[in-house]
Amino acid sequence: MTFPAYIPVLFLAPIFLSLPIALAWVYRPGAAWARKLPILSVLGLFISLIISLYILFRVPSESVTIQWLPGFDINFVFTFDYLSKYMGALTAFIAFLIGVYGLEYMKDDYRLGWYWFFFNTFTASMLLVVYSDNLLMLLIGWEGLGLASWGLIGHWFRDDDDLSYVGDSKRRIGPLRLFWSPTTGGWRAISTIRFGDMPMFFAIAAIYALTGTLDISQIPWGDMFQKIGIAGTVILLFAFLLGPFTKSAQLPFSEWLMTAMTGPTTVSALLHSATMVAAGTYLFMKITWYIKPWELEGVPGLEIIYLLVLFLGLISALYGALVATGLLERKVLLAASTMSSLGLMFAAASTSFWLGKIGLLVAFWYLMVHAFAKATLFLVAGHLIHVTHSRFCEGDLELGKKMKIGFGATIIATTFLAGIPPLTAYWVKSGMDELMVELIHDVGALPLILLIAVSVVYAAFLAKFLSLNFIKGTRPHHIDLHGGQLMSSAYAIMVSLMFVLLYVIIREIDPSTSTFFEAGLEKTSFLVGIAVLITYSGGLIMPRIRALANVGFVLSDRLYLPFLNDYIIPGIGWVIASIVDHANRGIDSLFHRWVPEFFERISRDIRKLQTGSLPIYIQIVSGIIIAILIIGALMGWR
Amino acid sequence: MELMVIIALLLITLGSALSFRVRWITLPISVIALIMVSQISGGKFLEYTGFVVVIAILNLLSLGIMKKSQIKGVDFGLVALIGSATIYIVFTKDLAMILTTFVVVSVPTYMLVFVNDDIPNVKIGIKYVTFMVLATILFVIGALILSYNHNNFNGTVYILGYTLLIVGLALEVGAAPLHIWAPDVFSNADPIPVSIIASIAKIVPVVVALKILIATTSPLTASASMIAVGIGLISMFTGNIGALTSRELGRVLAYSSTANMGYIISAFVVLINPAFLPLAVAGILLQLIVNAAGKIGMFSAIKEGGGATHLMYLLALSFIGLPPLMGFWSKLFIAVSLINVGYTWLALLLVLNSTISVPYYLRVARDLSGNWVLSLGTIIGVVAALIMLVTLLPPSWFVSGVEKMMEFMTFNLGGM
Repeated sequence: MTFPAYIPVLFLAPIFLSLPIALAWVYRPGAAWARKLPILSVLGLFISLIISLYILFRVPSESVTIQWLPGFDINFVFTFDYLSKYMGALTAFIAFLIGVYGLEYMKDDYRLGWYWFFFNTFTASMLLVVYSDNLLMLLIGWEGLGLASWGLIGHWFRDDDDLSYVGDSKRRIGPLRLFWSPTTGGWRAISTIRFGDMPMFFAIAAIYALTGTLDISQIPWGDMFQKIGIAGTVILLFAFLLGPFTKSAQLPFSEWLMTAMTGPTTVSALLHSATMVAAGTYLFMKITWYIKPWELEGVPGLEIIYLLVLFLGLISALYGALVATGLLERKVLLAASTMSSLGLMFAAASTSFWLGKIGLLVAFWYLMVHAFAKATLFLVAGHLIHVTHSRFCEGDLELGKKMKIGFGATIIATTFLAGIPPLTAYWVKSGMDELMVELIHDVGALPLILLIAVSVVYAAFLAKFLSLNFIKGTRPHHIDLHGGQLMSSAYAIMVSLMFVLLYVIIREIDPSTSTFFEAGLEKTSFLVGIAVLITYSGGLIMPRIRALANVGFVLSDRLYLPFLNDYIIPGIGWVIASIVDHANRGIDSLFHRWVPEFFERISRDIRKLQTGSLPIYIQIVSGIIIAILIIGALMGWR
Repeated sequence: MELMVIIALLLITLGSALSFRVRWITLPISVIALIMVSQISGGKFLEYTGFVVVIAILNLLSLGIMKKSQIKGVDFGLVALIGSATIYIVFTKDLAMILTTFVVVSVPTYMLVFVNDDIPNVKIGIKYVTFMVLATILFVIGALILSYNHNNFNGTVYILGYTLLIVGLALEVGAAPLHIWAPDVFSNADPIPVSIIASIAKIVPVVVALKILIATTSPLTASASMIAVGIGLISMFTGNIGALTSRELGRVLAYSSTANMGYIISAFVVLINPAFLPLAVAGILLQLIVNAAGKIGMFSAIKEGGGATHLMYLLALSFIGLPPLMGFWSKLFIAVSLINVGYTWLALLLVLNSTISVPYYLRVARDLSGNWVLSLGTIIGVVAALIMLVTLLPPSWFVSGVEKMMEFMTFNLGGM
């Protein structure tokens, strides 16, 4: 079967066009001509964008198969369905804009080859995850994400710039120092993700063993669940979902996301909007899309998993939102808010078990809205860090006036994302409200309560971010407004997409948005919107409440979750290491000491017989012969 | 054909007599005699006959390394006699001739062990002869009891006869726990006579024992075989473990012989199932050939104070059992036939023993390593190494040869 040539170009263009800068940096690091090569990398991203837009608007929904191992039914299968068309365009668009921003943001960096190669690999990997229908292909992209995220988070490997750290160098709790370097951040990311990937590999292998196919759209999910029973279903799906849970930083795997902020801001922006963390929720949505759990209500075990995802998502969302209110670091605050949003996506998607496809659509539209808003906020934060040389929130109206575009973009992004009627996220959030209201019948009121709590807190810290950086924050010691045009135009375009989405929703251009557009007209949704508006205003007016400083510390210490990553798990690791070490020594002693000594002793005993004296030899031999004959005689006696 | 043998024996006698003037004259005569005797095969089982002739010639050549010999040329004749008996034994079906060949192989070694470059080594000779006489008596009595008992069957007598035969064999070839003479003799006697005792002289006792045991198989063979298994196991472990810490090379090789004889005697248990007997016999014969060729090569090197590094390591690796050297196939055949008759554990212990043997064989090879020098010892080493390399062609040809020979292995005692 022939396949369209644009498909390989879509994935390979970013990677190949990043090779010139990567190679240039190997042989001539820092050369003036080499610093111009990133343009090529961005060109690669642009090619991907064009192709993904072409797929979105011009290619019919279908899958394309490129044969690889047909005998094993393992092929490059790309599917262009509702989810992947939108998601691919979103990924390519955001990556391209961030790429443009990065041209200026990273222009003086000491490691451009490394940066651009991994940045483009990151994007290509995400596109592979998005368009793959085959789980093995998807895994290749998935692993590419993991590798590139390690490379990018630990990009500033010299650990020599306080600006690239996360945490407060003076903050200590017991044995822990809440201060993380870029290399630590990279390590925490890759180690956490591997923890989830391992069970996911096994789950995928099990799916292949059970069904003989890895194409998500072809796997007979229902039959498979029936075959392996309730325990099998729970174990299989839980193992599989550990991948998305760790990638999307759900509790208790959220720590890596916070210290991922040690990477360049462009990386944070990409990581938090359209790639990496989105890959986890996207994969969950994608498999749910094809599992069609709403048609499988009789299947045992499935409800347990979807309940788990629902509550894990909501609790992670609440945790993230609360932590964000306590944080004062620009990027870490946004990281916590991302975690919160991801939780909401999981929760909304999981409701599809009871309520059907609408849950997925709401979750997916929230993903898109969130992606543009969060990318904007990160890009502004990066610009702020450049201008103020500080990673902590600071800035007053003075600064706001000087950075009008940044100020404006932040206002738009925060208000549109918070869920204030009638702005973009309000409609999607209303969809979520509606889902949780309908869920009262099946699950109870707790999900609704949690959702409202999250929405309210979420608006508060968004307002706090705006207020502390542009309105009521401390006056920065240092303001360097030199340049920045490329960066501001990038986030200006980014934030303008919020209007595009708003237009698409209100005019109901995409028919699937109509359901939650109608939910936005409900009274309950409107009441929640008002509550959100109130807390947003509160956050704007009182971004810091001195009386609650201690609560703030607890929250900004992320409810002591770092202990899990930096103390408990390493502790377990050391215990295992010491067990292995002892076993290792034991084996060494066994084979280097005990066994040789044992044989040497026997050997010496055997040789002791050789005294050289013939009479003694004759006695020994006679004795042995008689003994053997007696044994023979006894055997013959029977 | 018997006439050829008689003429050959006369030639050997004549040559030995002539050698009282010129020592070397016996060597060509001995070789001619050996080739004449090999005609008895009439083209059958050339695989075996060929190996024996080559090994006998190697033994003859190795005597050339000695500067002088107290029995002056007669030593060549004695080796030719042993070689002739070793060829003849396979093709005879007569009990008297079988027992005669046993004695014909045993007695010449009594004389050879005294031979020395210097003065006759009486002390060690006496030690050797004492045990050989005892071994021959036990072996022959056991063989006669078994043969007589075959037609007037009594279970107790059968097992006693079996035990006597095996004990006699063990003492003759130096299998543990009756190996006590071997380390002393191997390390104190001259290496060249020892190489004869350790190589070609081991073949006939084993073949004779096999022939008699095959001919007298009875329902009690399974239980009687426990004696062979027991001695085989003790011998393997004693030999291999004893060699681990021995310093003198002669002693190490003595223990190595003990271990090899252990492998061979333990394979006697395959008699309980004639279907797998050809494979076991092929394994036993190959193991004897490996042992013979390797021992000649190494003892010659000891005599010359070192051999070529490559040759020594090749011989050692063959002893260890590295594919595709012959030492691998011999142990493989024994192990596979053991597994086939239900003695998997014994096969595993055999493999374990091969592992134990690795350090000391490599140590021997290292200690004997030297440069390539054009000498008799090197030539012998090259030929021995070539024998080990023959099995580059997997020796299924040897097994099929043994299968055709099985008619000679089983002789009928009914006519007695």
